[in-house]
Amino acid sequence: MNFQNIGYYFHEVFLSMIRKRWMTFASIGTVTVSLFVLGVFLILVMNMAKMAAALESQVQISAYLVDGLTPENRAEIERMTKDLASVAKVEYVTKEQALKTLEARLGEQRKILDALGDSNPLPNYFLVTVKSADDVKKTAAAIADLYGVEEVKYGQDVADNLFDLTHLVRVFGGVLMVILALATVFIISNTIRLTVFARRKEIAIMKYVGATDSFIRWPFVLEGILLGFIGGSISAIILRSFYSAVTKKIYATLAFFPLVEQYPFMNYLTLGLIISGMLVGILGSTVSLRKFLEV
Amino acid sequence: MIHLKNVTKIYEQNGVTALDNVTIDIERGEFVFIVGTSGSGKSTLMKLLMHEEIPTMGEVFVDGRDVVRLSRKEVPYLRRGLGVIFQDFRLLEDKTVYENVEFAMRVIEAPSHIMERSVNAVLDIVGLRAKSASFPAQLSGGEQQRVAIARAIVNNPQIVIADEPTGNLDPATTWDIMDIFLRINTAGTTIVMATHDRDIVNKLKKRVIEIENGKIIRDQVRGRYGR
Repeated sequence: MNFQNIGYYFHEVFLSMIRKRWMTFASIGTVTVSLFVLGVFLILVMNMAKMAAALESQVQISAYLVDGLTPENRAEIERMTKDLASVAKVEYVTKEQALKTLEARLGEQRKILDALGDSNPLPNYFLVTVKSADDVKKTAAAIADLYGVEEVKYGQDVADNLFDLTHLVRVFGGVLMVILALATVFIISNTIRLTVFARRKEIAIMKYVGATDSFIRWPFVLEGILLGFIGGSISAIILRSFYSAVTKKIYATLAFFPLVEQYPFMNYLTLGLIISGMLVGILGSTVSLRKFLEV
Repeated sequence: MIHLKNVTKIYEQNGVTALDNVTIDIERGEFVFIVGTSGSGKSTLMKLLMHEEIPTMGEVFVDGRDVVRLSRKEVPYLRRGLGVIFQDFRLLEDKTVYENVEFAMRVIEAPSHIMERSVNAVLDIVGLRAKSASFPAQLSGGEQQRVAIARAIVNNPQIVIADEPTGNLDPATTWDIMDIFLRINTAGTTIVMATHDRDIVNKLKKRVIEIENGKIIRDQVRGRYGR
């Protein structure tokens, strides 16, 4: 491609996009939707990974006690836990306190607890703070072995579950992406095919007077790239405001929730979506041209 | 300039033998009529020169290029040496006369500074400079064919290939067109014209190659339409 043709190419492309505005609209729409879904999945996966990492680094262990322990038993557990070298702090939480905390957390929905009546199914527990996150697993195992401890829960445990979930979301998102990408390539290639069809006379003349294949091809590839670029940009704009709204909302209620920071994450995402859009556009136009430019 | 040796073309799709062992030599600057009934193989011959079809057997050389063994990349450069004109003009309806001619230069990426001069020069040759801004639909058939000729010669081809260029035109207009072809030929361009027009062939007394059922049955200097 030489420089003096760029103006010509863009002129041709804009003309053709305006001429079949509905196909153009549909193509940009599919690119936008596909990339938006991709973006949502990326945001989801990134945040779940971050959350899992945050949980993993938590240094607190909950040691739930069996019901009906004597105060002596309880004191023994507390003493032995404190004796562990890795333990920084041990705090006793009664089942009454636990219920109050739960009530507070449920907020508006606390009425569901009315179903419990006067009974309190929550156990008493020790909240054990460990000096270093590296010691959590070992310490938890040691506490779990103590007499009177029914179960221990700690961040890694939840983190492992979250990692499994993240993996699931990733696989599901991946499959969905492939399907959406194929649909996008298909609709873009159809749009380009329409352009090729509308301009078949010009293409024939171009060939007769000796235009090179690449010269003939460029406007179509450019159209594909442009469709992808516009779709990618729109999806990025929507995602940016979407994520900004979501983070604001979450931070307003859960100030310490470990969300991925908007920047630079959103900038990378924007760049990624636009590039993906353009790649899909190139692919779409190449698919339609291979069939139609043979002579 | 054009050299066909023992060329046979059989269309694979229907098994029709369009050309059967044809040998033709055309020198630089010649004016050659190809005559014959419809389906005689005239069009196939034209297509072979442009690399639109590949012969089943035999050799085709155009302006020193081995057309049969030409790679896909080289085809455009072969065609830049050929000006092609059709019976149905094949102009772009949404472009003006000027733009139609300029298009042929633009798409071979000719330098823009010579475009205006070249386009105006060929429009002068075909006598349509005054109608530069008209659209094809506003022109008569003869004028449209003159635009097509201007487009075919704007890139200074060595050879002009015309497939029934006067087939859609009345006799008076036909002579206007033939007059332009003769002038182009006088300027040194080789012209190969397939035609049905008995009158022009007989009056111009150029070389005539007659094809029947894919075979050359006559190749005559200063020939007439029929024997």
